[in-house]
Amino acid sequence: FVSSQVEILDWKTKKQLCFLDKVESNATIREIRLMIHKSYPQWYPARQSIRLDPKGKSLRDEEILQHLPVGTTATLYFKDLGPQIGWTTVFLIEYTGPLFIYFLFYFRMPFVYGLDERFTSSPHAVVNLACICHSFHYMKRLIETIFVHRFSHGTMPLRNIVKNCLYYWGFAAWLAYYINHPLYTPPSYGRKQINFAVIMFLLCEAGNFSIHVALSDLRRDGSRTRKIPYPTKNPFTWLFFFVSCPNYTYEVGTWISFTIMTQCVPVGLFTLLCFIQMTIWAKDKHYTYLREFKDYPSLRMPIIPFLL
Amino acid sequence: QNPDITITNNVLYFKAQGHGAKGDNIYEFQIDFLEPVEPKPLYKVTQRQLNITVQKKESSWWEWLTKQEKLCPDFDRWLDESDAELELREKEEEKINKMKIESRVPKDPFKHLKKGYLVIYNLVQFLGYSWIFVNMTVRLFILGKDSFYDTFHTIADMMFFCQTLALMEILNSLIGLVRSPIIPAVIQAFGRTFILFVVLGSLEEMQSKAVVFFIFYFWSIIELFRYPFYMLSCIGIEWKPLTWLRYSSWIPLYPLGSLAEAVAVVQSIPIFSETGKFSLALPNPLNVTIQFSFLLQVYLIALFLGLFINFRHLYKQRRKHLGPKKRKMK
Repeated sequence: FVSSQVEILDWKTKKQLCFLDKVESNATIREIRLMIHKSYPQWYPARQSIRLDPKGKSLRDEEILQHLPVGTTATLYFKDLGPQIGWTTVFLIEYTGPLFIYFLFYFRMPFVYGLDERFTSSPHAVVNLACICHSFHYMKRLIETIFVHRFSHGTMPLRNIVKNCLYYWGFAAWLAYYINHPLYTPPSYGRKQINFAVIMFLLCEAGNFSIHVALSDLRRDGSRTRKIPYPTKNPFTWLFFFVSCPNYTYEVGTWISFTIMTQCVPVGLFTLLCFIQMTIWAKDKHYTYLREFKDYPSLRMPIIPFLL
Repeated sequence: QNPDITITNNVLYFKAQGHGAKGDNIYEFQIDFLEPVEPKPLYKVTQRQLNITVQKKESSWWEWLTKQEKLCPDFDRWLDESDAELELREKEEEKINKMKIESRVPKDPFKHLKKGYLVIYNLVQFLGYSWIFVNMTVRLFILGKDSFYDTFHTIADMMFFCQTLALMEILNSLIGLVRSPIIPAVIQAFGRTFILFVVLGSLEEMQSKAVVFFIFYFWSIIELFRYPFYMLSCIGIEWKPLTWLRYSSWIPLYPLGSLAEAVAVVQSIPIFSETGKFSLALPNPLNVTIQFSFLLQVYLIALFLGLFINFRHLYKQRRKHLGPKKRKMK
């Protein structure tokens, strides 16, 4: 094995942070990150961004030094990404919050609706149904986070968790407040509206789960590379014929059905914001697919079949 | 540092001090050129590298660059015979295109129609706001402070008309008729429409308040300079004093206008609270509560945010149009 030298420069100041002597040419970026971590213990590998250009993309852990366009002395640039937190951890915190916050309102804790209404229960069946659906949704998300999802990035910056939690927890509190309010008005079209909403809810949840399982199966071999997802025998996955990110499509469907079920404007607003956010993510993903794969199915749209 | 670069007999001799991975050292090398070169090399030193430019004695294509090996060409700047021809051809095409554009007949058949529409739009607005301004000033002289209290009843109709028409400005920006960015236009149009129609228009009580006079006056003065300026620039005429006024009058007037609007909002909050106008209470089929007085408090924050954004936009425009001048900003 030929050995190389690697110099690590700061991406902004271009000052040399570290000079690695006798690095094996077939070493991976992961190993280089570990070596930098030895010299700088405060920079654990997850917060190191190593690139070929000061403003370039971060190199993946699996990349091999030999295969990179560098000479015998490689120059790599380093950027500190700040304190990181694992995706699994973030999701667990984000989703447990709404689950319990909703219960505070469902069981009408004294500080929510006043002492007169404490611990009372709603006369409307739909309120109980809404609680079951909301809780089911977040429990499903927690189970998927623990058992199903395989993340391509291990971590995200720590400050994201404050932003995300404020959003999820805040909205959960706001919509739970109105649904479980003593003066809540059930849907205008009664049983018909509620039944329709429940069926739509269950179908979308099943669909969303199927897609997550299908996506996870693409990475069953433990790889972190992107592959084109295709429809399987499961009918819910047939949405892949028309859409790049059917998981987002089903998710929006779930929230639309919840809005119909509760007939509550805050829920509708939350649905709208989810839709906007997911459309942005879906478009991103769609264009990434198009760039990476020349034979990407042309019928597919990012999130809504034929439209968006 | 201290590079010593010379060319003797078509051989480049390089010697310099450098700080490398292994510390400070003296570095040197030679390049033996294939054909004769000019004996005076040009060089430029940067943080990371040193660029030496050597000119050939005769302009021609060489089979090889040097008589040696071990040189890596920088392909970014590599010029093939075909590349060089391509570059020459591109330069010629550019020259031809430039001549074409200058002698071109305007291809856009709607150009004059668009100009005409913009001129008429700006003229109408100018007339409207001049009427408002003159009317208000005359009444001020005749009635003094008393004119404050029924400003709304005399001026509002014209103001409604002008402000509704001003919504067209968003359209103009959107369809590209006008080159200015859309966000400041939207902020201004939305802000003014909200104050005029919602805060003032929907409450009888607000209409007899003195602050209305100030809001209308500040708005009309700003527009008095803005619209004629646009009108003239459409025709291609520039009147320097007007340009200066248009790009400077907003400095005192915009903040004053926003202050007046804020005062109006603050005065209207208790009225909305009491009457419950535009508010929704439980129970209702939408299962939501809207407290308009709360939204107005949030609006106050948005008002100053919008002022800040527009201020920045206008300041940038001012710098662009009036040129960089040394001004003492207090």
